[in-house]
Amino acid sequence: MAKQRVGYFEDREDPEAQCSRCRLCELICAFHHHQVGNPRRANIKVIALGKGVDIPVVCLNCGDAPCMNICPTGALYRKERDGMVLVRSDVCIGCSMCVSVCPAGAITLDLVEGTAAKCDLCGGEPQCVAYCPAKVLRLTDAESVSGKRMRTFARSLVCQQEA
Amino acid sequence: MGIFQGGYTGKFLHVDLSDQSIQTKPLERDFALKYIGGRGFSARILYEGLRAGVDPLSPDNILVFATGPLSGTPLPSASRLIVAAKSPMTGGIGDASSGGYWAPELKYAGFDAIILKGRSATPVYLWVENGKAALRPAEHLWGKRIDETSKLLKEEIGDEDIHICAIGPGGENLVRYACIVTDEEGVGARTGMGAAMGSKNLKAVVVRGSLDVKIADPERFQGVIDAYRKTLEGEVWTETLRRLGTPNLVAHRQKLGIWGARNFQRATIDDWEKISGEVFREKYLVKAMGCMGCMVRCRRYSAILDGSANLLYMKGPEYETINALGAKPYIIDPAFILRAHYLCDEYGIDEHGAASAISMAMELYERGILKKAEVDGEELVFGNGEAFLRLIEKIVYRKGFGDLLAEGTRIMGERLHADYYAIHVKGSEVDASDPRSMVTRALTYSVATRGSCHLRGFPYIDEFIKPEEGLKYFGTAAVSDVKALEGKGKLVAWSEDWITVANLMGLCIFAWYRSRTFSMLIKRGLELVTEAYVAATGLPMTQETLLRCGERVYNKEKLFNWREGMGREADYPPPRFFDEAMPDGAGKGAHLDRGDYERLLDDYYTARGWDPVTGCPTPEKLEELGLDESGR
Repeated sequence: MAKQRVGYFEDREDPEAQCSRCRLCELICAFHHHQVGNPRRANIKVIALGKGVDIPVVCLNCGDAPCMNICPTGALYRKERDGMVLVRSDVCIGCSMCVSVCPAGAITLDLVEGTAAKCDLCGGEPQCVAYCPAKVLRLTDAESVSGKRMRTFARSLVCQQEA
Repeated sequence: MGIFQGGYTGKFLHVDLSDQSIQTKPLERDFALKYIGGRGFSARILYEGLRAGVDPLSPDNILVFATGPLSGTPLPSASRLIVAAKSPMTGGIGDASSGGYWAPELKYAGFDAIILKGRSATPVYLWVENGKAALRPAEHLWGKRIDETSKLLKEEIGDEDIHICAIGPGGENLVRYACIVTDEEGVGARTGMGAAMGSKNLKAVVVRGSLDVKIADPERFQGVIDAYRKTLEGEVWTETLRRLGTPNLVAHRQKLGIWGARNFQRATIDDWEKISGEVFREKYLVKAMGCMGCMVRCRRYSAILDGSANLLYMKGPEYETINALGAKPYIIDPAFILRAHYLCDEYGIDEHGAASAISMAMELYERGILKKAEVDGEELVFGNGEAFLRLIEKIVYRKGFGDLLAEGTRIMGERLHADYYAIHVKGSEVDASDPRSMVTRALTYSVATRGSCHLRGFPYIDEFIKPEEGLKYFGTAAVSDVKALEGKGKLVAWSEDWITVANLMGLCIFAWYRSRTFSMLIKRGLELVTEAYVAATGLPMTQETLLRCGERVYNKEKLFNWREGMGREADYPPPRFFDEAMPDGAGKGAHLDRGDYERLLDDYYTARGWDPVTGCPTPEKLEELGLDESGR
């Protein structure tokens, strides 16, 4: 099966099809994993860049995952079914090397457990995707991301010519 | 934290700005069960902590930042903050509500509420993080507008993720209707909470937290989240809010003819299509925003070109923005409305306060009561946007005529011997709509404890409640007739208690309480809220008890006002609504009838268990609510 992850798909032309910074993804993620209200224990985070730009950031599920490569204890491993990198909490020593090398900043040490925490796709049904009111978060794989990006890129070429 | 299994953090932060002392005190279980949170916390703290006659702008006033038990939980739209103090506008109970992210963050920082008293000798801000707090110097922030204040604080603390509740120059200069602004975007506008904060030399309260808000029964709580989500499916009102935000109401106000334009001399607007919800969406909307956890996303984020080809970004507009800055001064220009809106938010003043003051002055000028020399040489006629913008600056810095405008319409009326043209109740200006042709609106606005308010009850509930529902819940089918007086006292009293529950819980009225069917109001705003409270806190609660908590809090607020000398006479609409008929529109010719209104008020007091002569809660009512004779 293709390597899966949660992807962000916005449409800058549609005011409702963009991340609206409601942060329900953060809330629902932390609730699903820890049964509490606490966005700082979520594995997804909405980054507010100002001027109406808000981008949810979550594990990219890299093919050659730096977090997995650098882990000194083998606590990070790749799951067969959806290809997601997961954490064995009992093996993790909380050294935070994975945190240092993650290109997206999407792996953290859990504030309570002290061990590495990252998106696990909720076992195949990511709750952030299920609850996103703008429906801009989707379970996806690298191929569909590139397909979508190609379309956006192609459209931008046409728009430039028209302008 | 010991006694609570979830929802509450169980801690209050007490700050004395005079001696700079900071203490943490436990929230007691009985207090939580009787007053729940939000407006319940603030009503009790203010009633019991203040005595009658305290100057709202003196160090003796108490300023409360309160969350609810559901704030910070993953329940959608539990985002609202309550800021409360004795009101500089009304002299009675004051509170304002702001959405966004600040209230949940206070919970993550470990507190249910912050209670401040005294006055700092020099400007300070309060920094709160994970159970700890400190006062820090704010001289370098004093005088700064909201955006600049946030920028400097984020640099100083070195974190983009802090959450800030600040005042602008309006609050610093004690403009009576100054507001508080959370995260540059969410405005707690009414009743002058920014002035109360400014009088304490408190520039901002900055919070950051990473503590858990626990949930007593997660599985049950998940059930509430999903049940709530289901209620939004196919809900037309929700879809309208998402597409147009509250500006969707522009067309509705025009249709009903209840704008209150030109200081309530016009009921409709000639070119209303120029400022419709669709125009703001098509020309200025960047995107739909959501407050913390919101599935509805009525919040607007807009941009306009400023004079020098830069884009100005702002939250809003709301319908109220358009009513205040467009209809009242009759400046029917969307770009002007956004520019003025941006300025009011940046300076930290309530748009309705500022617009009402200037619109009243416009009427007085047109009537020759104010002369050109008295208004700093302005040609102060309705529609003069440039003069309006200049006066906003003068209000904020209390320069020239702005110094009087900054006092609000009630004081303007007294000083200029022109009370009749001050359109307020208890000192707070009428917002939202002209209630002259609708008795439920008129009563709701007039008896509201914080002064004229469309959010204290549900002023248009009679527009869609079915006769059989009226019979079942209020004992008469007549409540569904907007013209009928019968049953309206009970309807308004119930709506107030019910809406109060939202303010106790930290819930957003629009996301949770608004619907166009009465059965949905009950389902979402009572049944699911009760369920959420029980699941989050593990405390016992029923729908009846929760409504009773709303009633208790409303009575407490009434007692506060009563102690300040506000009796029956304070519960009347402005005389214009009796003396002048609606000049145009669907309600043309309508006005309130004095005899009818007396009967409405009697009916309301009777429904409330208040003495019809004085308007004060009776001893029997207090006993029923578990309060002693002094209301404690």
